[in-house]
Amino acid sequence: MERISTGNQQADVILGGGFPAHSINIVMGQPGSGKTVFCEQLAFANLGGRPVLYLTTVSEPLAKVVTYLQEFEFARVDAIGEQIVYESLADTITDDPRKLPERVTDLLKQYRPKIIIIDSFKAIGDLMPDTASWRKVLYELAGTLTAYDATSFWIGEYIADMVARLPEFAVADAIVELTREQTGTRDDRYLHVLKLRGSTFLDGFHAFRIARSGLHIYPRLVSPEAFGEGYGTTIDRLATGIAGLDDMIETGWLRGTSTLVLGPSGAGKTLLALHFLREGVRRGERGLLVTFQENPSQLNRICGNISWHADELPNCGGLDLLYTSPVELQIDTIVGEIFHRIAEDKMQRVVIDSMGDLMNASRDMQRFRDYAYALTQRFSALGITAMLTMEVMRGGQYPPEVSAMVDNILLLEAHLNGEMQRTIRILKTRGSGYDLRRHLLRITSQGVLVDRAT
Amino acid sequence: MMQDTGTTTSNPTERRAPPGAPKSDSGALILVVERDPHVRSLERYFLEEAGFSVEFADDGEQAIELARRLVPAIIIAEILVPKRDGLSVCRMLKSDTATRKIIVLILSILSAEDRAREAGADGYLRKPLNDLALVDSVRKLLEPVVGKGMVHGTH
Repeated sequence: MERISTGNQQADVILGGGFPAHSINIVMGQPGSGKTVFCEQLAFANLGGRPVLYLTTVSEPLAKVVTYLQEFEFARVDAIGEQIVYESLADTITDDPRKLPERVTDLLKQYRPKIIIIDSFKAIGDLMPDTASWRKVLYELAGTLTAYDATSFWIGEYIADMVARLPEFAVADAIVELTREQTGTRDDRYLHVLKLRGSTFLDGFHAFRIARSGLHIYPRLVSPEAFGEGYGTTIDRLATGIAGLDDMIETGWLRGTSTLVLGPSGAGKTLLALHFLREGVRRGERGLLVTFQENPSQLNRICGNISWHADELPNCGGLDLLYTSPVELQIDTIVGEIFHRIAEDKMQRVVIDSMGDLMNASRDMQRFRDYAYALTQRFSALGITAMLTMEVMRGGQYPPEVSAMVDNILLLEAHLNGEMQRTIRILKTRGSGYDLRRHLLRITSQGVLVDRAT
Repeated sequence: MMQDTGTTTSNPTERRAPPGAPKSDSGALILVVERDPHVRSLERYFLEEAGFSVEFADDGEQAIELARRLVPAIIIAEILVPKRDGLSVCRMLKSDTATRKIIVLILSILSAEDRAREAGADGYLRKPLNDLALVDSVRKLLEPVVGKGMVHGTH
């Protein structure tokens, strides 16, 4: 099936390759949700050959649309007029909206476009004298648009409950909804495919943000099964870089596994994870540190305190840093960014510090569990060895669902016996014998080591 | 043998004819067998703009009757039409000495290029209608006819 690219690689993935050519599609969402930008990006991605016809109505006056369009990097002003033709339907629909099919047919004969965008389409329906007239207009319009070799996009400020009620949705081959939800002081945006006739698509809500380059979309993280990816089964051992730790597991530390590092604040979780990444860099394995805890300055200070060389610091060598303030943390976006970095730089070791921040950023526990599962499964499929930290109160509990998703669990504890003593204990390894004892975890100026003599 | 019109649903010749472009002087009569009013309206516009005369048949029976009476240079037929489908129309015309020289171009929503060839069609295009593909195909199919002086209604 021939496809029309959205101009956005991730949106094309969600749509199974793009919108089917010769289809009629509705792009819906509340004002300010990004509908116009989405369609404009699509228009500019399809330059060449026959033109794109962009028809404005009354909600989106022509001058306003073109003015704001030029703020985006994808907007090629030199293409406007010849390759992207803007026309207004305002006169027709304010005079007699029932003449819309006739007017569109005339424009179609005049420009012979390959893509027709009508913005806002809902405004036309609002001007119709009655439903019967609107249905007749829709029938005529859809008839002409279907007869000709063009793909149509109707943009509208529709909300979810209108989908079952308004006749235009029965005509549409695809329906894409853009939503905006307030989370605290932040707006979270999602793209959601409601319908895609004759084609599979990635369901659910996919986060996105709007930048000057257009929409940045982060497809919902799904488990590898959904992508048809296999799971990595390896018996390759890996050096964690923490002296004494590797020997605590009979099989050694295996590649492609995920390890949950639990412990209270100050128990050494971040240091342990940093050593794990540093060892990878020393062995030529690229590493990614995803942190919501320490900003880059704080991290460099920590690394300096344990004698890291300047070129070993995050973003100075093989170690890549992805820092997001927990206040700004949006789980879909950050997970999308993690996999983007992994794909770009062929990461082999990943640390997420901490999963607790991801959990707090999730709207509910089920959503967090889904993400944690998909995250660890995809790490495994990609052969990435991961260390995930999670804070627990002293002697406290941790979400049992998370422990089921990882291969290994380490518990770090801090004891006050006159002086502070840190300990490490393996709570779980999958499919291997391990040292059940609790050992001292020593943090020195040279780093972290497990003292198995204790 | 069905002529390769060089056109499919993805039209490779994506140039746009400027409004007011010079029209063809062939004036050949085209009989269109089509029941969808939207497709008919567009076919009439684009074909007349290209300089052809256009007549329509609503169904397969009427197509046979008009083909015998008008002897058009070319018939553009949808397969899915009432009474007698477009392929059956094609077979009947090609088996009749009075009409077998009429060029038949199948323009259908159905993916049926092989079936069109088997029915004796001279060309096939898949809908939706692309004006450039349609006009280019018609011109290409008519070339040998025009070259031999065999124009509309004279054979």
